[in-house]
Amino acid sequence: MEFLNFLLILWAAWLLWRRPKRERLAFRLLIVSCILMALLFVVGTRTSLVPGVNI
Amino acid sequence: MPLSQDRLRTILAWVVIALMAGPPGVSVVLGVMFGESPCVLCWAQRTSMILIGLVGLFILRYGPRPRYLGMAVLLATWGVFMALRHSALHLARDIGQGFAGTYFGIHTYVWSGIIHFAVLVVIAALMFLLREDAAANWGRELTRTGRFAVGLFVAVVAGNAIQAFATTGPPPFVGQADPVRFSFNPRRWVWSLDEWGLDRISLRGAWTVPEPDLATVDPDPANGPLAGLPALSISSWEQIGVPLNGTLSDLAWDATSRRFLAVTDHHGVYVLDSTLSRVLHHVVIDPGFSIDLSPLAGAAFLGDTLAVLATNKSIVLLRPDRQADADREWRHFVTTDGTISELRLGRFATVRARQMYVMSLAYDPAADELITLTVPSPRHRRLVVARFSRTDFLPVSEVVPNLAAGLTLSGPERSLGDYMVTGAVVADSQLYAFSAAYSTLLVMDLQGRMVRAAYAVPGLVHPTGLAARGAQLLVAQADGRIAALERPVSPPAPAPD
Repeated sequence: MEFLNFLLILWAAWLLWRRPKRERLAFRLLIVSCILMALLFVVGTRTSLVPGVNI
Repeated sequence: MPLSQDRLRTILAWVVIALMAGPPGVSVVLGVMFGESPCVLCWAQRTSMILIGLVGLFILRYGPRPRYLGMAVLLATWGVFMALRHSALHLARDIGQGFAGTYFGIHTYVWSGIIHFAVLVVIAALMFLLREDAAANWGRELTRTGRFAVGLFVAVVAGNAIQAFATTGPPPFVGQADPVRFSFNPRRWVWSLDEWGLDRISLRGAWTVPEPDLATVDPDPANGPLAGLPALSISSWEQIGVPLNGTLSDLAWDATSRRFLAVTDHHGVYVLDSTLSRVLHHVVIDPGFSIDLSPLAGAAFLGDTLAVLATNKSIVLLRPDRQADADREWRHFVTTDGTISELRLGRFATVRARQMYVMSLAYDPAADELITLTVPSPRHRRLVVARFSRTDFLPVSEVVPNLAAGLTLSGPERSLGDYMVTGAVVADSQLYAFSAAYSTLLVMDLQGRMVRAAYAVPGLVHPTGLAARGAQLLVAQADGRIAALERPVSPPAPAPD
């Protein structure tokens, strides 16, 4: 999944470098990539977002 | 002091260059040269840094629009959180027990927090330097430095993509909690789906441990984990004859002074005479200052010192003291009759019994050690007998007891962890423990390594404490009634082979 996320980021970077008029698509790719990154972190913590400490 | 647009664009381009040449770029080089390989949480933090760099490129190209600035702040804040969450797995371990390699003496998960925090500072600084009309008059063409930043960005992300393909694989494979060294040899690549195995959703994970609740236990010995137990009958009943400030949660007896010690779930401590009808000393401990005290659940005499234990393994040592200083003791007690002083407030530190509550306290005078037994929770189902030094409250031993020959479990899925021990006492070099679940008395060796005998005790309702008085065991109930049993003598320990 991390590989897929880097491909999305590369796509967004290519758009803003070579196709600057496709700003809206590039920004949507950025949003999707952010969500995927956060989702993978939540999966990595097994949904236990609160550390194992007394809060 | 706003900067000109050209100067600001140059600074921002160099910020992106520095960020990309930092951890995301260096990590790929370290992976190729030294086999460094990120775990699933590291991947997320590395991706977060790359996404911040991408937002920087958006600003270079389209100007400092609010949605880009907001996205940068959001990513950096989330990155700080991820780093804290990741670091929390390792920061409190013993000395030198970090995870993976260090750079300049600091682990990567800590570096992640530093870098994301620095990004927040840099964003704030750049916003100070923005002109009011910067977004409206932003030029669309990339400068030479800007083009270099984009090129470096693409190169670094491509390197990361290659490393991610080798170490985590294509979708749906995902990064691993314990990654292996990076290698160009495909036969050594590990592509795993393990992290997708979410068996339940819980914000606190293993720390989701509800406080023990006696109302939920099954009192029928016939349903217990040990099969075919002999029964002990109740020989007589006694009753606490004074009003208590809550539910009785444990009882202890001191043969020397012929006094009882009773504690309640509302932090009441009562020293009673031998008839249970007169209060000799009484306090209500303040549970909020300073160490947290959950409901009291254990009581023991340590000579003339009183030990009371909360379910969260916080312990208070008290002493009857007719000369107690009322002003000094005001901070310790919500209510006091003026005849008790606090000696010490502390916590039992545990390893094997960690994340488990307790509801019992016993004292072994020969070793000068305190003993407690864990109660099960939906997260952790095991019985741990823990002994603590009276001197520093640190563990001396924490063991999971075995069963002596002749005792058998009633099913393959059953264990001693099904019991909820609410009272314990040492007598005649044996440890007696009473379980409210399945109303069962367990007789163990003093170290708690083996359950030598067990007895069903029908006829009890919510037993919360256990005391030894001569040849009797006294089982205290939550309602203040006390059942007297003849104390059984367990079979001798088996001879070593």
